[in-house]
Amino acid sequence: MKRLWKWLRPDKHPAIERNRRRFAEFDRDRPIENCEFVSLDTELTGFNHRKEEIVSIGAVRIRDLQIVIGDNFFSYVRPTKSIPKDSTLVHRITTSQIKTAPPLQEVLPEFVDFCGDALLVGHYIALDMAFVNKACRNILGARMENPCFDSMRLAYAYQEVQRRSYYDAIETRMSYNLTELSKRYRLPLFAKHDALEDALQAAYLFLFLVKRLQAAGCVTLRDLDTVGSGSPF
Amino acid sequence: MAQTDNVHAADPGAVLDFLSSAHPFKDLDRGTIEDLAQQFTIDFFPKGTVILRQDLSDVAYLYLISRGGVKVYLTDAEDVVTLKDFRGEGGYFGALGIIRGSKANLNVETVEDTFCYLLGKEVFLELIQNYPKVAHYFLKRFSEDVVGIAYTELRSQRVRPKGQEGLYLFNARVGDVLKRGLEVIAGSETVQDAAAKMSHLHIGSLLVQDQAGNIIGITTDNDLRKKVVAKALDVNTPVERIMTSPVKSISASAVCFEALLQMMNDQVHHLAVESQDKIVGVVTAHDIMVHQGTSPISLFREIGNQPTIEGLYPLSHKVPLMVRTLIEEGAKANNVTRMIAVLNDHIVNRVLMLLEEELGPAPYPYCWLMLGSEGRMEQTFKTDQDNALLYETPPEEWEQIKVAKLYFRRFGNMAIKHLEACGYPPCKGEMMASNPKWRKPYSTWHNYFERWMSAPEPQAVLHATIFFDFRPGYGRAALGERLRDYLVREAPQKSLFLMHLAKDCLTGKSPLTFFRNFIVEKDGEHKNRLDLKTRGLVPIIDFGRVMALKFGIRETNTLTRLQLLADGDHIPRELYTETREAYEFQMQLRLVHQMQMMEAGETPNNYIDPGELSEVEKQTLKEAFGVINRIQGYLKTELSVVD
Repeated sequence: MKRLWKWLRPDKHPAIERNRRRFAEFDRDRPIENCEFVSLDTELTGFNHRKEEIVSIGAVRIRDLQIVIGDNFFSYVRPTKSIPKDSTLVHRITTSQIKTAPPLQEVLPEFVDFCGDALLVGHYIALDMAFVNKACRNILGARMENPCFDSMRLAYAYQEVQRRSYYDAIETRMSYNLTELSKRYRLPLFAKHDALEDALQAAYLFLFLVKRLQAAGCVTLRDLDTVGSGSPF
Repeated sequence: MAQTDNVHAADPGAVLDFLSSAHPFKDLDRGTIEDLAQQFTIDFFPKGTVILRQDLSDVAYLYLISRGGVKVYLTDAEDVVTLKDFRGEGGYFGALGIIRGSKANLNVETVEDTFCYLLGKEVFLELIQNYPKVAHYFLKRFSEDVVGIAYTELRSQRVRPKGQEGLYLFNARVGDVLKRGLEVIAGSETVQDAAAKMSHLHIGSLLVQDQAGNIIGITTDNDLRKKVVAKALDVNTPVERIMTSPVKSISASAVCFEALLQMMNDQVHHLAVESQDKIVGVVTAHDIMVHQGTSPISLFREIGNQPTIEGLYPLSHKVPLMVRTLIEEGAKANNVTRMIAVLNDHIVNRVLMLLEEELGPAPYPYCWLMLGSEGRMEQTFKTDQDNALLYETPPEEWEQIKVAKLYFRRFGNMAIKHLEACGYPPCKGEMMASNPKWRKPYSTWHNYFERWMSAPEPQAVLHATIFFDFRPGYGRAALGERLRDYLVREAPQKSLFLMHLAKDCLTGKSPLTFFRNFIVEKDGEHKNRLDLKTRGLVPIIDFGRVMALKFGIRETNTLTRLQLLADGDHIPRELYTETREAYEFQMQLRLVHQMQMMEAGETPNNYIDPGELSEVEKQTLKEAFGVINRIQGYLKTELSVVD
């Protein structure tokens, strides 16, 4: 079975080989501000990763805890099937619009190289990474090794810090979706359902949360990882 | 990062939108904006972060505020903080430091959670080098900063902008402001000679000449201080040893703005002025700024020199222009209102004097009385006329009384008409010298006050409060003072009267809800706005008045009343300090609000939109309103008011 599995996998692409080498030895005790992050978002044909495909990827780099606007990544991706109508309604990408887009085989290695040795950030990033890594395994022969941080989980952590330090009434039913959180923290708002703008929105949220959590004593990547693994429930 | 090899890089639409709408980038062409947008980074600063520290921080970026706000302030050697500015969305900071290559010249601290777009120093310098329009924009803003910061000694002298002050700097030539010809000294003469010559000429610099008559350098006050006195250098040292050489110079045909700019870049205060390859004099930053505005003194003279009443009509419109600069320079509200009062008094006095010349001498001595805010010297930009006329009681002869009445009727009516033409709107309640009821001999005024104080019907007292703030103006001041003597003597005994006043003072509720939110107007023209005068200032003014009357204080100005009350231990020192601060802050807010309205071409009012206040201002205003509860509580026990 194991052999068969291996046989099904393609050989490791040079981009993913580079990616694995970068994270072979990884120091979790580095201060957060010394790390480079990439905030990413993907738009899908739908939400079921057995069937659905990536139609666009957007990402923006965060260096020295500043968003480097010009250093971004955006591409439409040509899916193998046509886009179902209901998802077109969400992100307004139509089949004809992405007919000329490159296929995932072309985009993915470039995306992996763009991420480089940055740590990945996204809002509910597990979903995005499920798709990206499924594609990586199929196309590049292995998954991406970059550690990931979920801005949604960091938001839980921040609310917890708030709850402990203030006697304000606790809102138990607050929404943790990206737009609602951005409004709540009074962040500049971007267009929804565009992979690059959503990645930028998540980057703003990440910056906001990290600086607040730093003030609360969260200094190293390990700290960030620890606070980010809690859940509000 | 090498962005060129990333074929997937996209235009950051949001940044583009922001830059395309922000001064001065919006004038650039699309391609340039797109390139520029790629160069920005975004940073987040939680509320309370000090981003730049005066004299300490290197300025590595130009900061554009995309969300949030900062306060900009100076700290002097004694750690006294002077607030210079609040900057909000679309505002900048850091530019001056980059251009001058100096440390930050101000402290910048976030007052809200703030996101900024950051543009690296090199990119910014390149931008202003390649795009004169962008350079022009920033430099124009600095010229204002230079005036405010580097040349603080000018604060007291620089006053009224001539219309658009920005234009002056761009129109006037350096040659136009040159005050005197060439003042030189030979390089071989001593430092002492130089100092003596500078003192004699009352100037701060001398050009230094070699034997052939060529200008080889300049020596300034600063050189004498730093290079001679501080180092205990022999006063017989030749000037050429301490001079600055070569001389920085500018063409006489350059506009003043360029001169200021060059001074900033070279960090000097003096420039030699060149005309046809010859040095013709020295221009200082001081010369330029003094030339820019005329002083309140000159407006004062202009009023005093007007030969006709009609000539005075346009002059009152110059007062706000002058006041604007005072406010910008950070003058305290009380000083600003006093300055307004002095200038308005001067106009009124001149009108009355010319009127008296026209009508012939008055049959009896009289005294013009200023009431209400004029009486308290607390006028802001536009205040209604509140005035009255008091004249010496004529003998009990029908003929004499008639002569007086006729004369003062004409005098009063014409005065009010002229003052209206000068831009002072008439009082809606007709409390003016044109109303026969408020144009009376001394004996009648005496009776008025006696009645108000002795048999007080609450309504009558309340209508009359502005009379208790009267201040003698033009004419025989002794008449007014006599009336004040009477008040100071009698009022403290009239406890029922004082209680009525105190009770009225307690009816005004503090403009904060239980949850410390502002109480705003519920409907009408000023819906959701806060009536700063009625809700915030009047309770303090009322408090000052009733307490001053109770303790026989002559003064009418609210802050002076409060101070005298504290000095006489009639109110606790702490309450005084709080009340003074609350009052000053609100006055300041009101002045700035009215100034903005006037500049927008609207009629100034007292309605503030709390939503437009910064976080710091909101907090301070809430503190100020909190004080109202405390003075009311104090008044209640002090005057044993019963409900």
